[in-house]
Amino acid sequence: MIRDPRSLRRTIAAIGMDTITLAGPLEAKLEAMAQAGFSQVMLKANDLVGHPQGWEAAVAALKASGLRGTGFQVLRDFEGLSGHLHQYKVDIAKTMLEMCAALGCKVLLVCSSTSVHASGDVDHLARDLRKLAMLALPLGIRIAYEGLSWGRHINEFTTAWDVVARADCPNLGVGLDSFHILAAKTPLSALDDLDPGKIFLVQLSDFMWQETRTFEERMATARTYRVFPGEGVHTAEVAEMVLKLDALGYQGDYSFEVFNDDYVQMPLPMVCERARSSALWLAEDVMLRGAPLPGQMRLHRAGNAKITFESHH
Amino acid sequence: MSEMLLLSDPAREPLQASFSDEANPVGLDGIEFIEYLTAKPQALGHVLEMTGFRPVARHRSREVTLYRQGGLNVVVNAHPADAKGATLPETPQISAIALRVRDARAAYRQVLDRGAWEVPTHPEAMELNIPAIHGAGGSRIYFVDRWQEFSIYDVDFVPIPSVERHPPATAGIHFFGIVQYIGLGRTYDWVEFYTELFGMTLIADEERFGIMPLGKLLRAPALHAGNRFMIQLIEPEPDAAENDDREHLQRIGLGVPDVLAAVQALRSLGLEFVESGAAHSGQRGAISKTYLGGVLFELVHSDTTPGVAP
Repeated sequence: MIRDPRSLRRTIAAIGMDTITLAGPLEAKLEAMAQAGFSQVMLKANDLVGHPQGWEAAVAALKASGLRGTGFQVLRDFEGLSGHLHQYKVDIAKTMLEMCAALGCKVLLVCSSTSVHASGDVDHLARDLRKLAMLALPLGIRIAYEGLSWGRHINEFTTAWDVVARADCPNLGVGLDSFHILAAKTPLSALDDLDPGKIFLVQLSDFMWQETRTFEERMATARTYRVFPGEGVHTAEVAEMVLKLDALGYQGDYSFEVFNDDYVQMPLPMVCERARSSALWLAEDVMLRGAPLPGQMRLHRAGNAKITFESHH
Repeated sequence: MSEMLLLSDPAREPLQASFSDEANPVGLDGIEFIEYLTAKPQALGHVLEMTGFRPVARHRSREVTLYRQGGLNVVVNAHPADAKGATLPETPQISAIALRVRDARAAYRQVLDRGAWEVPTHPEAMELNIPAIHGAGGSRIYFVDRWQEFSIYDVDFVPIPSVERHPPATAGIHFFGIVQYIGLGRTYDWVEFYTELFGMTLIADEERFGIMPLGKLLRAPALHAGNRFMIQLIEPEPDAAENDDREHLQRIGLGVPDVLAAVQALRSLGLEFVESGAAHSGQRGAISKTYLGGVLFELVHSDTTPGVAP
């Protein structure tokens, strides 16, 4: 089915890949993504600190690629600590924020704590996240707090949202990851309780198993066996989630958070091609379904010529 | 390191615990000085003199000059090391605001605890170490508490010989506020910053001062009502070019009891004012021309008693 090309282009522009999905040097990853038609990229701390020419070279590479930074990941185990542990994590957070700012990324992803030292007191968690948001504020960075499905106290987006709502800071919101939502089997109907303006990032992936009962299973799957949306067994749920977010009024970015042991030993163009097919599936078959556009019927009759990213550049 | 080691002795009596009035959490009491960073200190000095300021002292170890009128202090910094690795800006920039607080150390600790960034400062021997945090667009916010018993300038500055050290304010000029340009969609972020760290309050959109009413206005609390000041946050137009998204402290607002008299007095010193359909001098306020690519002053009608002279 062919949609309004402008609408398709807009939808695709809202989707990016993650550097974690690809092997090799940063420059090669960025080039492969751009070649596949993507215009944004989710970066990770190691892209900077692991760059052989230093982090300034990584920043220059991103600039040269023409890709926009979707966001920067990931600050772990930040909230709920006390005393010197808290102070230590504040220092780590400040450095992450500086790297995020250097890349021009406007979102820092923060995963809910897995630490046995972390408090589960919601007020404590909210206070720490509020402080983190204040640290991010002068740099123009928004904090996306994500409920990791094996988080110690917060392991669903519903409880992550409770903490964010309690902290009540304009640049603090939630990050959603389809993997954690599906792994934890959080009902998608709970998305209706979120304020779409406070969803700062949506990460999409699918996976191959129907069930991930234990935290250990979730961790192992999350870190080695994710696939692009549409490639796994949860295609219908991923599509439902995206449609729900769209209906809710979410207008932010989607990124493919695909950790996959096979993909990091495949040639980059091959992996990016799979990502591209996934993005096209989302744009053509999922996201636009709910929003028929003027001229659509005429376009519909025009045949089934394949729409590619290139044709709209 | 144990947390206990970081705690100071508890007070024996609960008399002088850290100041914790919720409406004024850091004991704010106005502005001690505003600092400009510039590669053209003399040119900026000329503009300041047209605005009624006089040079009164020079820093002991840096290329820094103190200008003053009435209760207002403006520091012109042309010290290369303060450009933070870059070259000094050709267009003068407002690089710091120094806030008067009841207890600088306590205020500093409190804002760091709430998520402010500490800025390392590098005083030379026998110079004051003034605590500072990051503000808008790379600017700093200093905390100064020694302004009642003695002046910080007596330590770091040497008076310029044979000039009046406390020149009177021209036309009753006193500090009114700072205008901060912010990025698109950033209003409520910055409102949160100033309310969380300093207890500032957003004032109603109907309440506006002067002739430049855009954006949101925050009022800073003060121990003495006459030392309250305003921060005005202005976003770019939604269709503005992307490079207009830069965040910075854009101009100083000066309060005057009689705007037209002040316009006349400053005109006689050489300052020119914008007189166009969109903005022109009137009893509510006036705005100067922009000098040196980015320096301008706004006059606002205000009867507030000028701050206590240092």
